Amino acid sequence: MEAPADEEQEGISAQSPAQAPLSSASSLPKEQSQVELELRVLQALEFYPPSKLKGIHRHFVLYGLMEYLRKSLDRQFSADEVLQLLDRFFNLEMLKPEDDDKDNLTQAEEFSLPESFFNKDD
Amino acid sequence: MFIFNGYSWDEWVTNDRLLKLTEENIRKQQELEKSQSADKSVKSGRSSQHKPKGSNDAKTDKEDTKSLVKGKKRKSQPGVTEEKERKSSESLFMSHFPSTLKKQLVDDWEFVTQLGKVVKLPRSPTVDDILAKYLEHRTKKDNKINDSYAEILKGLRCYFDKALPAMLLYKKERQQYSEEVKGDVSPSTIYGAEHLLRLFVKLPELLASVNMEEDALNKLQQKLLDILKFLQKNQNSFFLSAYDSGSKGTDGIKAK
Repeated sequence: MEAPADEEQEGISAQSPAQAPLSSASSLPKEQSQVELELRVLQALEFYPPSKLKGIHRHFVLYGLMEYLRKSLDRQFSADEVLQLLDRFFNLEMLKPEDDDKDNLTQAEEFSLPESFFNKDD
Repeated sequence: MFIFNGYSWDEWVTNDRLLKLTEENIRKQQELEKSQSADKSVKSGRSSQHKPKGSNDAKTDKEDTKSLVKGKKRKSQPGVTEEKERKSSESLFMSHFPSTLKKQLVDDWEFVTQLGKVVKLPRSPTVDDILAKYLEHRTKKDNKINDSYAEILKGLRCYFDKALPAMLLYKKERQQYSEEVKGDVSPSTIYGAEHLLRLFVKLPELLASVNMEEDALNKLQQKLLDILKFLQKNQNSFFLSAYDSGSKGTDGIKAK
């Protein structure tokens, strides 16, 4: 069931008539769970902005999304599944990596061990 | 066990909690240090070495984590500096860092910075190899492919390739780096456990940018610590016990 991306961006409607054939009796639960799924995804994005899905942190952002959905919908989500869900709302290929410049990675700094490592008991 | 019990590196986020928990922690740490005085008092003045970051005093013992006040779920707190969060997250993660691996890092520091030696490159196993071995180990143990671990390992490889030249090298290793890693070569195919371990030291700092939600962060920390335990278990086969004394180019004289 593919929802057109521009419909969803405005906000979630309670019914998504464009998605499922209304004549089918079993489509109503499907619609609700689909809606809930998309709602959770959008909630998750509050924590994990899509812009971070392109930079070096993308795998951990994805992990965070997977965990969020797993917790709120009580089932496992694969990385691919999450990406597919996101793809409904965003054209992921168009995302530009946002954070690479802001990370401490543009200027080289020397590695240093925290002081506590030298003081441990053994 | 590495259970964070609702205490996470974001617990310090609320300003009013910050002071309360610090005082509590100092008290608790003192109690613990008294009861474990046989071991800990040898390293004198442990508590005095902690800088007043305000957050790290009680992190030295596992018992502390459990006895700390459990907080509410984290919500984003405007007005609290990211710097404080970063520092507290670093100290929490460090307190659970396996001690033999800490020692490995100290030896590593000594080899490179004090004795002027370098790790012989390319390494075997490489970072790539090690992460793959871990996934294999995990898959066998769980008897299924664990998507979360797979994603985390991809994330670590990604971090490693970017972070190595940026923050994982000592000054004395720069020359070797420029000689060994040219063009398209990924550091994760050249370097090994020694430098991977350094990445773990920097992980809290790197992960701070992800701004992860509390529960996910706790789970992630547990998984990262499990990876460390795997490194520890294989310490003898993954890590070098001796380094090279300044390889071909370090004195400006090239062998080839």
